[in-house]
Amino acid sequence: MDLDALKAARQKGLQKLLPDRPRVAVGLATCGIAAGGDRVYAALEAAIRDRGLDMELAKVGCIGYCREEPLVNIQIPGKPCVILHRVTEADAEEIVRAVAAGDVPRRLALCRVETWDPLVGEKLDFGTGFDDIPAYADIPYFAPQRKIVLRDAGFINPEDIDEYFAVGGYRALYKALTEMTPEAVIDEVIASGLRGRGGAGFPTGTKWNFTKVEKSLRKYIICNADEGDPGAYMNRNEMESDPHMILEGMLIGAYAIGAREGIIYVRAEYPLAIARLTRAMEEARAHGLLGKNIFGTDFSFELTLAEGAGAFVCGEETALIASIEGKTGRPRPRPPFPAQKGLWGMPTNINNVETWTNIPVIISRGGDWFAGIGAEKNTGTKVYSLVGEVQRVGLVEVPLGTPIRTLVYDVGNGGIDGRDIKAVQTGGPSGGCIPASLFDTPMDYEHLTAVGSIMGSGGVVVMDETTSMVDTARFFIGFTHEESCGKCAPCREGLKHMLMILDKILSGKATRENLDLLEELSGTIKKTSLCGLGQTAPNPVLTTLKYFRNEYDATLKGAK
Amino acid sequence: MTQVIIDGKPCAAEEGETLLVVARREGIDIPAFCFEESLASYGACRMCLVEVVKGARPGITTSCTLQAADGLEVLTETPEITGLRKALIELYLAQAPRAESIKALARRYGVEKTRFARKVVKEDPLQNRCILCGLCVRVCGEIMGAGAINYIGRGQFTEINTPFYEENEACMGCGACAEVCPTGAIALEDRTDTRVMKSWSETKVPLARCAACGTFFAPVPFTRYAHEKLDPGILDALKDLCPACRSKAAARKAILLKKEGVIPPEPELQA
Ligand SMILES: Cc1cc2nc3c(=O)[nH]c(=O)nc-3n(C[C@H](O)[C@H](O)[C@H](O)COP(=O)(O)O)c2cc1C
Ligand code: SF4
Repeated sequence: MDLDALKAARQKGLQKLLPDRPRVAVGLATCGIAAGGDRVYAALEAAIRDRGLDMELAKVGCIGYCREEPLVNIQIPGKPCVILHRVTEADAEEIVRAVAAGDVPRRLALCRVETWDPLVGEKLDFGTGFDDIPAYADIPYFAPQRKIVLRDAGFINPEDIDEYFAVGGYRALYKALTEMTPEAVIDEVIASGLRGRGGAGFPTGTKWNFTKVEKSLRKYIICNADEGDPGAYMNRNEMESDPHMILEGMLIGAYAIGAREGIIYVRAEYPLAIARLTRAMEEARAHGLLGKNIFGTDFSFELTLAEGAGAFVCGEETALIASIEGKTGRPRPRPPFPAQKGLWGMPTNINNVETWTNIPVIISRGGDWFAGIGAEKNTGTKVYSLVGEVQRVGLVEVPLGTPIRTLVYDVGNGGIDGRDIKAVQTGGPSGGCIPASLFDTPMDYEHLTAVGSIMGSGGVVVMDETTSMVDTARFFIGFTHEESCGKCAPCREGLKHMLMILDKILSGKATRENLDLLEELSGTIKKTSLCGLGQTAPNPVLTTLKYFRNEYDATLKGAK
Repeated sequence: MTQVIIDGKPCAAEEGETLLVVARREGIDIPAFCFEESLASYGACRMCLVEVVKGARPGITTSCTLQAADGLEVLTETPEITGLRKALIELYLAQAPRAESIKALARRYGVEKTRFARKVVKEDPLQNRCILCGLCVRVCGEIMGAGAINYIGRGQFTEINTPFYEENEACMGCGACAEVCPTGAIALEDRTDTRVMKSWSETKVPLARCAACGTFFAPVPFTRYAHEKLDPGILDALKDLCPACRSKAAARKAILLKKEGVIPPEPELQA
């Protein structure tokens, strides 16, 4: 492939993405399918076929408004793209009839999108009209959001590389390979301030450099797509809705680091993500974007996919590497870090899915542009999965540093049936519970840590007044205890005793000494565990003890 | 050569040397259960915590994974570290209530009892003494190359035994596992012509019989393994002898040779 071929591919893609006849696209990520999107797709297909209508039917990923699914995009040439929500099979006839007449069913319309900015390419102009339908930017769920990672999600067909070309896909790679040195690429990533989205928030450019400077004939890069947090599915959606963005990010990273081989480690419970990534890899290879001499340069890169065995701890980088090597997924002490001794003993750079997806736009728009989004030392956006006792659940992408309040009330619209919200738990099973009184806390790495929680991979679980915080803490300790690999004593033994004490508390038989021991043990586990699992697992207990101690006290023997 | 400071004392060390090894050489007794110099650091028992006061990553860390570097300064027994060790000892007392070495360490640290529920398993093959430090598994696999035992299960349910709790032919009966076990958890017994690895699903290993005196002296597969590894090898005539008869035979041979004047007074006995 060369620049002309890339331009031609974009034109071809645009004809698919913005055809000169109506296009009906159904949101078919796992969430959309679970909501019945595949049945809607089949019904639309039948309705179009039966009437012999001249329209395109396409599959797209998920725009993130999971509560409103199934979602269907209607694009009529010259008109805005209209997103229909809560569509059922029964609506299919009505939809195609309206579309054939150049219209959309108003009762199903959620919002309209006149133009869309894919950031790395030219804007997509859908058209104007339908002014009675609310604009995308006026929908409270979308208004506070800033789509960078999910900019294509829900608009392009993730199973068609042409549509990725249409939104400027692989142009950042072309730029990196033909106009930039590997050092310049790393400098750009450092300038962007991007930090790892896998949990710890380590600066990505700096990390790349660790592997780059190692002297070794072989180096690897890995995409960590193990996403094991219960309730978290941002990585799944990123893979299902826009797999090529991950590939492009990895290609750019490999070029910068000097790696010729990469592995995407996906949990086996994500069959659709695996299928779409596999397809994306095949398409990329067919276009010469994987393999030898990419874009006619000296750079060659091979990518393979490995399926994870399903253990939460296998998301930890050293356990993940052991797992790829066919060993039991147990973390090992660092140093040596993977950058020095990683996969098969070779220097290895490992990043989270979302970290990789941020790379193309950084190369395309520049590190400074990226650094202008978000907050001090916390640049860019973060995708959160907003779940629990909140009205509007879904995947939300906002700049880092956005207050918890915005997420819970503006995006999420508060509690269900008017119930008060009591707390949110961020960061997955080992995050802390943050009380409503602290909802002005900006969601960034440092502030979340300061209130006793973590960013983690971006899970946000909302709890309302009906939730018992002791129960909640018990639930999460139950999870981490189940998932402890058992290698080191504080996590293996300590979590077991925490669970026993919590059960005693919940059965109303605990004494104040038990409570004190629980708190002391939490501190020991945090300070002495080998890996991040143990080091963070007590957070739900420590924060609920800190912010909701009265709930514990009320259960103590003799309290009633 | 470089210099590190441990508890205020300047200590010579090789660049990159494991700090725990340096400390022990200097007579500073940092407790550790899962460490063995001939194996890669494992970092599982968490007992060898030290505080880095000057160095690349200040804070509390395990000294078995800390590498000596110029200017590194650590403390091995701050109030915080002592507190954490005591807490870990309590966990170990609950996990392995019959382990004497843990009790001894508890006494050294003034831990009188554990506040956690003690786990006592009836007929535990590891005698309620195993703390899952993994030394036996690693020695068996990485040093002896036998891989007869491994972890079974995960998390709180982790155990160490032979696969499927069945007798395992891979076991050479060498007893290296029992030798490295820090809590004396592994039981084996020689019953006339057989060594029984009681902790490892009663795996039975035949003992070799001395061709001269008839005593059973070492597990057959282990003698074979040892003969292969010896460099230079051992005289065929000595292979089937127990250590006592072997030295007798060697001495006799030396005397004979001396008598016949074949060799000078200081005999070379190696093959
Ligand atoms: C118990 C545990 C589970 C983890 N699970 C994941 C995961 O599912 N996905 C992920 O990207 N990182 C996970 N991590 C973090 C990784 O170890 C690693 O830091 C990350 O992949 C680095 O990528 P980043 O720099 O892009 O954040 C986990 C860490 C721990 C301790
Ligand atoms: S902290 Fe837990 S999960 Fe991590 S190594 Fe220790 S036992 Fe395994």
